[in-house]
Amino acid sequence: MAAKGRIVWVSGPAVKADGMSDAKMYETVVVGNSKLVGEVIRLTGDVAFIQVYESTSGLKPGEPVVGTGNPLSVLLGPGIIGQIYDGIQRPLKELSKASGSFIGRGITTTPVDMIKKYHFVPTVSNGDNVAAGNVIGTVQETDLIVHSIMVPPDHPGGKISNMVSEGDYNLETVLATTEKDGEKISLKMYHRWPVRKPRPYQNRYDPTVPLLTGQRVIDTFFPIAKGGTGSIPGAFGTGKTVTLHQIAKWADSQVVVYIGCGERGNEMTEVLVEFPHLKDPRSGKPLMDRTVLVANTSNMPVAAREASIYTGVTIAEYYRDMGYDVVLVADSTSRWAESLREMSGRLEEMPAEEGYPSYLASRLAEFYERAGRVRAIGSPDRDGSVTLVGAVSPSGGDFTEPVTTHTMRFIKTFWALDAKLAYSRHYPSINWMNSYSGYLGDIAKWWGENINSDWLSLRSEAYGVLQREDTLKEIVRLLGPEALPDEEKLILEVARMIKIGLLQQNSFDDVDTYCSPQKQYKLLKLLVEFYRRGQQALKEGASLADIRAMSIVTTLLKARMDIKDTEMSKLDQLDIDMKEQFKSIIGVKVTN
Amino acid sequence: MTDSLLAKSIDKILEKTEKEILANLENSFSNTKQTLDDSIPKLEQEFDKIISDGKKEADKIEKQIIGSSDLEVRNKHLLTLEIAIDKVFTKALDQIANTTRSGDYSNLMNTLLDESTKILSTTKVIVSTNSKDKDLVQSLLSKYPGAELSSQTINCLGGVIVKSKDGAMKFDNTLDARIQRMKPLIRKEIATKFGVGN
Amino acid sequence: MTAKGGVQYSKIAEIKGPLVVVDDVENAAFDELVEIETKEGERRLGKVLEVGNGKAIVQVFEGTTGLSISGTSAKFVGKLMEMPVSKEVLGRVFDGLGRPKDGLPDPIADKFIDINGEPMNPEQREYPKDFIQTGVSVIDGMITLVRGQKLPIFSGSGMSHNILAAQIARQANVVGTKDDFAVVFAAIGVQYSEAEYFRRSLEESGALKRSVLFLNTADDPAIERIITPRVALTVAEYLAFDLGMHVLVILTDMTNYAEALREISAAREEVPGRKGYPGYLYTDLSTIYERAGKLNGRKGSVTQVPILSMPSDDITHPIPDLTGYITEGQVVLGRDLFRQGVYPPINILMSLSRLMKDGIGAGSTREDHSEISNQVYDAYSRAQEVRALAGIVGKAGLTDIDLKYMDVGDVFEKEFLTQATDENRTIEETLTILWKIVSKLPKNEITKIKDKYVDQYYQEN
Repeated sequence: MAAKGRIVWVSGPAVKADGMSDAKMYETVVVGNSKLVGEVIRLTGDVAFIQVYESTSGLKPGEPVVGTGNPLSVLLGPGIIGQIYDGIQRPLKELSKASGSFIGRGITTTPVDMIKKYHFVPTVSNGDNVAAGNVIGTVQETDLIVHSIMVPPDHPGGKISNMVSEGDYNLETVLATTEKDGEKISLKMYHRWPVRKPRPYQNRYDPTVPLLTGQRVIDTFFPIAKGGTGSIPGAFGTGKTVTLHQIAKWADSQVVVYIGCGERGNEMTEVLVEFPHLKDPRSGKPLMDRTVLVANTSNMPVAAREASIYTGVTIAEYYRDMGYDVVLVADSTSRWAESLREMSGRLEEMPAEEGYPSYLASRLAEFYERAGRVRAIGSPDRDGSVTLVGAVSPSGGDFTEPVTTHTMRFIKTFWALDAKLAYSRHYPSINWMNSYSGYLGDIAKWWGENINSDWLSLRSEAYGVLQREDTLKEIVRLLGPEALPDEEKLILEVARMIKIGLLQQNSFDDVDTYCSPQKQYKLLKLLVEFYRRGQQALKEGASLADIRAMSIVTTLLKARMDIKDTEMSKLDQLDIDMKEQFKSIIGVKVTN
Repeated sequence: MTDSLLAKSIDKILEKTEKEILANLENSFSNTKQTLDDSIPKLEQEFDKIISDGKKEADKIEKQIIGSSDLEVRNKHLLTLEIAIDKVFTKALDQIANTTRSGDYSNLMNTLLDESTKILSTTKVIVSTNSKDKDLVQSLLSKYPGAELSSQTINCLGGVIVKSKDGAMKFDNTLDARIQRMKPLIRKEIATKFGVGN
Repeated sequence: MTAKGGVQYSKIAEIKGPLVVVDDVENAAFDELVEIETKEGERRLGKVLEVGNGKAIVQVFEGTTGLSISGTSAKFVGKLMEMPVSKEVLGRVFDGLGRPKDGLPDPIADKFIDINGEPMNPEQREYPKDFIQTGVSVIDGMITLVRGQKLPIFSGSGMSHNILAAQIARQANVVGTKDDFAVVFAAIGVQYSEAEYFRRSLEESGALKRSVLFLNTADDPAIERIITPRVALTVAEYLAFDLGMHVLVILTDMTNYAEALREISAAREEVPGRKGYPGYLYTDLSTIYERAGKLNGRKGSVTQVPILSMPSDDITHPIPDLTGYITEGQVVLGRDLFRQGVYPPINILMSLSRLMKDGIGAGSTREDHSEISNQVYDAYSRAQEVRALAGIVGKAGLTDIDLKYMDVGDVFEKEFLTQATDENRTIEETLTILWKIVSKLPKNEITKIKDKYVDQYYQEN
C-alpha cells in the first residue's frame, strides 16, 4: 500500500507530489528518477509536501515519488561506535566508496556492516519470558563497549525459543524467536527505531552526579550533571568548537555522540584524525572506541541537517538503554533551527520572530527533554543517562535572538562565551558573570563525598572574589587602580590569578588540556588560601607590593601547566612554600 | 545519426587540411618562439640598466618579462589553433550544405521531426525549413497529424524548426543548431588531432 | 553534453527584478540552465529557481533590463550550468559567468563541470596542516595560513585589503616544496581599477601565467555575481584535484555577492532574516566557502582568501557574522591602524586562524612558535588596556610594568606589524621580531612560554 505519486513542483530541498493520498506524515519516500531520500512533512488533499535529504538539482516535475511505508528511522545494533554518519545515518565511508571524494546522490547503504560477525553471549535461555527492553545477550562492540542486545521497546514480549548458543554471528542472524498469543517474532542483533520518537524508559532520576569534563571553569564553576542539559552560545571566534571538542574528548561518559550540524567540514575531519590517537584518561583506550559522529556539514543538504539532531539523540538513547552514560554534543542547534526556518519558509507558514517558525520553541523543548538519567525498561536493571550539550551560534553574538532565548528556557547550565575574553586570548572564553549552572546544589554532595567537604564553600569564596572584581573594575576604569586601597587591590590581584591560574585552560597543552577533579580542587584551594593569607598579611602590615613580589605568584599561575595530575604532592608543597613566603613578608611581626 | 554524419564530414576534411594546418601551427610557433628569443636581449639590457637599483627590482622585471613572453607564446598558439578549427568547421558546414538530399538525408530528416514532436509532446505543430528541403519535409509531414509546413522558409543548412501551433513552444532542430551545440566537443576532437589539449 | 537541445518557451507570465516567470512549461528541471532570448535576438543566461504546476521561475544572471513580456523566450537547455576546464585556463581572463574576456577563444575543454560542485565528503578530507609562508609577518607569526584553509579578510570601505591580498598572492609559498601552484582571482562587483591592480600585480611578479581571473566589475550585471565565485571555484577544484596544483583563491568582494543574493530573495518575496538578507544566507555562503580544503589521496589543495567589506565597519553585520561562522578564522583590518597609516592594518586581537595550531611548531615553523605568539597576543592585549588607562590617568599614573607594556605595543606596531608591500619576510625573521617584542618584558611576566624557550630566545637588553 505504498504511496505512488508524481512530482508537481520543485524548489530547493522542497518538493510537492500529487497522488500521495496513501502517504503518512513523516513517512520516508523515494523521490525522482535518481532515487533521492525524502520525508513527508505535510499532507494536503493528495498532495504531499516533502523535504528531500539530497540535492534536488536536475529534478523535474513528472518524475515519480514512492512511499516506503516507514517513518525516518535509524538502525540500532553493534557497529555504530566509531562510525561517521551523515544526517540520515548513511556512513560517510561507504558513501565515498560509491561516489569518491565528493558526496553523490541516490546512494543506498546500510548504516553498519551487516556481515561482520560479533561474539554473542546469550543471557537468557529457551523458555524464558522476555519483555520489551530485556537484554537477551551481549557482544563486545569495541574494546570499551559491551553492547547489550535488547528486545526492541515496541516488541510485545513473549516466550523465548530457538535461542542460539554462544558464538559468532552477524547482524542478520536470527538469535532467538519470541512467541506470544501464537505470534512468532525473530530477534536479531539490531532493530530500527523512528528518530522523532523518544525511546521509552521506566523512570527518571534527579541529576546528582556531575559530568566531569576535566575543564576547570565547567567542573568547578558551572558544572553540568549526568543526564542534564547545557548550552554553549557564542559568537564566532569565541572558541565554541574547541570547548565542545574538549567536552567530547574528556567527559567521563562511556559513549559520546558528536553531531556536526551545519558546521565546518574540517572540524569533523579534525575529530576523525585526532580521536583515534587520543587516549581516554580513564581507560587508556582510543577515544574513537566510544565515539559516534554525525556529520551534516553546512554545505550538505539542509533538510538532512534537520534530521541529524534526531538521528544523533536516538543513537544516544539506545546506548543509554544499555546502562551507559552518554554525552551528546550538538554543534550547532542554531543551524538546525535555520533548517527548520528554511523548510517553514518554503511551506509558506506564518513566521514568528526573525522568520523562525512558531514551533521553534516546542521543537527545542522536545529535543532537550530527551536528556535525563533514567532506569531503562526491561531486565536486568540498567541505569544510564543522556547529557545534552547544544551549541548556539547567535547572529552577531546577540544573546537576545530567538534560538538563544528559547534555548535558555529549556536548559539548566549556560556557558556564555564572550568575544571580549576571546580577543584577549582568555580561553575557554566562558564569561563567569553571565554563565550559570542549575546543578550546583544537586552535585555538591558528590564533591563532598568524593573530593572534599569544603568544595562548595571554596567555590563560593573564589566566585565572590570574581564578583567583587567585576564591581571594582568599574571604579578602576574611571579613576585608575591607584585610587583603590590595598585590600581592594588584593582582590584585583587574586581575581587575576584565578583567571590565569584556574579559569584559563590551554586545550593544546599536553598537561593542561585535562584536569582531574582532585587537581581542580587543589588549585582552587591554593588560590583561596592565597587570598586569605593575603588579607591577613595586609592586616599585619605587609604591603601589596610585597605580596606581588613573591615568587609564588608566578608559580601558582603556571601550576596548571607545570604540575601533572600524577604529581599531586607538588601542589601540597606549593601550599607550604606559599605559607613560608607570606611569613617572610610579614617578617618578625608574625607569631605563628 | 546526424552526429555520425557530421563526424564523417569532419574526418574527411581533416585528412585534407591536417598537413596545411600543422604547417601553419609550426610557423606560428616559431614566430612566437622568436618573440621570446628577441625578448632576451631586451631583458639583458633592462637588467644591466637597473642592476644598481637593486636585485629585487631586477628579479621582478625578469619574472614579468619571462612570464609575459611565455603567456604571449601560449596565447598566439591558442589563436592559431582556433583559426585552424574555424577552417575545419567552415569546410564541414560547406560540405553539409551541399550534401545531396538522398535516402540517408531523408532518414535524418525523419529522425529530426520525430525527436522534435516528441520533445514538444504534440504533433500539432508548424514546421519551418529551408527552401532546399521544403519538398522533402512536406512529404514527411503526413505521418504527423495536425502538422503543417510553414509558408516561410528559413535560412539554414538543413533540418527543421518546430513550433507548437499556439506559438508557446519552439524547438530548434536545424543542423546549424545541432552543430553549434556540439561545437565544444568537436573543437576538442580537432584540437586532439593536432596534438593539442588533453 | 549532447546534441539534443532544449525547448524554447515564449509565454512569459511576469518579469520582476532579476526574475522571469515562464508559463506553460512542461519540461524543465530545478537548477537547469536557461537561455533567455530577447526580441532583438540577444541571448542571456539564467537558471531555474522553482518549477512546477506549469510554471518556471528563472533567475536571469545578466539582468532583465530591456526584456518584454512579448517577444522574449526562454530555452531550457537540458543541463545544469557548466564550466569548461582544461590546463589552458591558466593565464586567461574570463567574465563573471566564465566566458572569455581576453579576446581569446573558449578554452578547449578537458571536461565540463557543474559549477555548483558537490559537497566534499568530510570523511575524505585531509586535515590541513601545511604552513604557507606569506612573507607578511603578522599573518605568518600570529594568524598563520595553512594549505586548504579558508581565511577571509574582513575589511571596510577604502582600506588596504586588496593590496594585502595581492601581496599574499605574490609571495605565498610553502617552504621547501616544488609543487605547482596557481592563483584563481574572482572580482565580484569591485571597481575596474581594483581588478586591474590585482592583474598588474600578478603580471609584475610573473605569476599571471599561473593565474586565472574572473572579472565581474561594478558595472557588470549584479545577478551575475551569484555565479562568479562558483565558476572560479570550479576551476580551482579542477586545477587542485585533477591536476594536483595548490590553488589560492581570492574572492573579492563577498559583500557584493550577498547583496545580489538579497536582491533575488526580495524579488521572490521570501520572508527575510536579519537586515533583509535571506534566511538561507548562511547555507548559501557555506556552499562557497566549504569548497576549500584538501582530499585524501590527492595532491592538490584549494586555499581560500575571501575578502569582504563590513558595512559601517560592523563585524556583527550578517555578512561578516555568517562568514566568520563558516571560515576557519578571520583577518580583521582595523580602521584606527589604517588611519595611522599602518600597513597592513591588521587588528590581531580580533583576528584568528583556527588551523594555525596544526600548521606551526617543530618541523614546520619552529618549536616555540605557538607559545611566543600566545605571549605576544597576551602582551599586546595588556598593552591596549594600559593605553586606555593612560588615556584616563596620564602616563604619570602608570607603573613601571605598565610602561613596559606600552613599549610592547609600540614595538609591535612599528617593527612587527608594519611592513612594506614588497617586503617578503622569512618565518625566522618574523619569529625574531616576536622575541624582540617579548624581551621588552621582564622574565617574570612571561607566563605562557616554557622556561627552556625563554632561556634560548629571550633577548637580554
